Amino acid sequence: MTLRLKLRTEPPASILAAPLVPARLRGLSAHAVAKLQLRCGGEEVAVGELFEVSRSGADEEQLVLVGDLWRFDWIGARMASGEIVVHGNVGSWAGAEMAGGVLRIFGDAGPRLGAAYPGARAGMTGGEIIVAGDAGEETGAGMRRGLVAVGGSTGSGSGLRMLAGTVIALGGIGAEAGVGNKRGSLVSGRPLAPLPVYAFATRFHPPALTLQLRRVRELGLTVDDALLRGTWSRWSGDGTELGRGEILVFDEEEGR
Amino acid sequence: MSGYALGATQVADTFAEAFPMRFARLVITAATDAWALEAARSMTGFATSVIGCKCEASIERSVAPDQTPDGRPGIAVLLFAMDRESVGKRVLERVGQSVMTCPTTACFDGLDGEGKTVPLGASLRYFGDGFQASKVIAGERFWRIPVMEGEFLVCEAVRVGRGVGGGNLVIGAGDEDAALLAAQAGADAMRGEGIALPFPGGIVRSGSKVGALTSKSLPASTNHQMAPTLRAQVSDTLVPEGVAALFEIVIDGVSEEAVREAMRRGLHAAAAAGATHVTAANFGGKLGEFHFPLTELRDPP
Repeated sequence: MTLRLKLRTEPPASILAAPLVPARLRGLSAHAVAKLQLRCGGEEVAVGELFEVSRSGADEEQLVLVGDLWRFDWIGARMASGEIVVHGNVGSWAGAEMAGGVLRIFGDAGPRLGAAYPGARAGMTGGEIIVAGDAGEETGAGMRRGLVAVGGSTGSGSGLRMLAGTVIALGGIGAEAGVGNKRGSLVSGRPLAPLPVYAFATRFHPPALTLQLRRVRELGLTVDDALLRGTWSRWSGDGTELGRGEILVFDEEEGR
Repeated sequence: MSGYALGATQVADTFAEAFPMRFARLVITAATDAWALEAARSMTGFATSVIGCKCEASIERSVAPDQTPDGRPGIAVLLFAMDRESVGKRVLERVGQSVMTCPTTACFDGLDGEGKTVPLGASLRYFGDGFQASKVIAGERFWRIPVMEGEFLVCEAVRVGRGVGGGNLVIGAGDEDAALLAAQAGADAMRGEGIALPFPGGIVRSGSKVGALTSKSLPASTNHQMAPTLRAQVSDTLVPEGVAALFEIVIDGVSEEAVREAMRRGLHAAAAAGATHVTAANFGGKLGEFHFPLTELRDPP
């Protein structure tokens, strides 16, 4: 069943949107969803005041959000199943500590996409996040498992203290990526100078990345065929940590 | 010889007797069709009979790049054994020795849906000596095993299906060349989705019987009843008058229906290609739970 929330008006303050996950909305009528309260700054506001709410279909557990939601933080945070599709931008912490399901954002995402909460040992532990635009700082920070794929670029500090999992930025990973990375994969579709704690290993055709890029394409991102066919440079690091993480950088001159 | 005629071909009133088996389907991809084929040939080599090879396997079909998980040319292979555990052991051995070793390959589970699995990458990963890494992609785990070429990518586990093994046709003609030509036509027609023909070229010339007349320890021995050179020597010969050579096509399939329809295709193709006699091997109906009477294959495919 698809639950559709179309933004009526921009909220006066940041909204804590974490309650808007498919599992928590399952079985609720549009009317009941409209009556749910969300934190808005220091106040509470009803979903129905912010959105036009409607339900349709009966096949999948899907939440569709429409509008520029840059003031909505924590969208899809700790989500474990189902799908959220956002047609518009989102704020900070989208998909934070997500455990499963799919979050697709056809717009830009703010900082800490798919990241760990401050002090938490691990961030995202499963699921898939797709962002058609750009993503902010520290994307995938503390990530343990799962996939974050960004059509544009990510801000600085992507993959900070990453345990495992994959962050792909087709438009390029931002500066200072992968600090403290243990086993995670950071993938940059544009040239990147990794930090000195990463050591160049080789150029190759990474077969797992091919599968991941094809999956990302299935989920709605545009992936150039050159990325699927081309060679990638592998940098291993963070050498001051376990050192089993990697940054894969597309060889533009070789591949396009 | 009772039965019916398909043109000039006499079809015996008998049946093929087959058994339940377990199977796995693997999709092997590589940088080129040729390397995928090399790996598939190696993996399905020496896999003609469970009696001597512990499994039966063959190439099922080519898989176009737009149908494979990684977008590269692929070959689907089917491997059959008597139980799930045996399928698991044979798949692990053969992927480890024949697919992982072959340049540019990757290996994927070719069966969909729910069902029991056997570990593949989950065991093979130890070849990575601690340097292996895994990725969960669309809900399925894959292992990246570092090798001298780069990385070998293999699925965590493969599903095991319930299939049918031992469907067969025995094709005869007045001389060796004519019989082989007809058998080849039959084998060519039988190949397709869901079908494995595990013998060389799909054809076996040394059909066997269970046990032996001269030994209690031999699990199988020559099918003396179908050997033309013994026709005048044994009292229970089944070689029809005028037949100088017989070839058997053994068929393993993913279902009873797949085997039946492959037999139908093979029977009619062999008849059209000059077989004078077509019959089938059975054990009196006491051993196998699947029976394929040739009378049910009279209508063309």
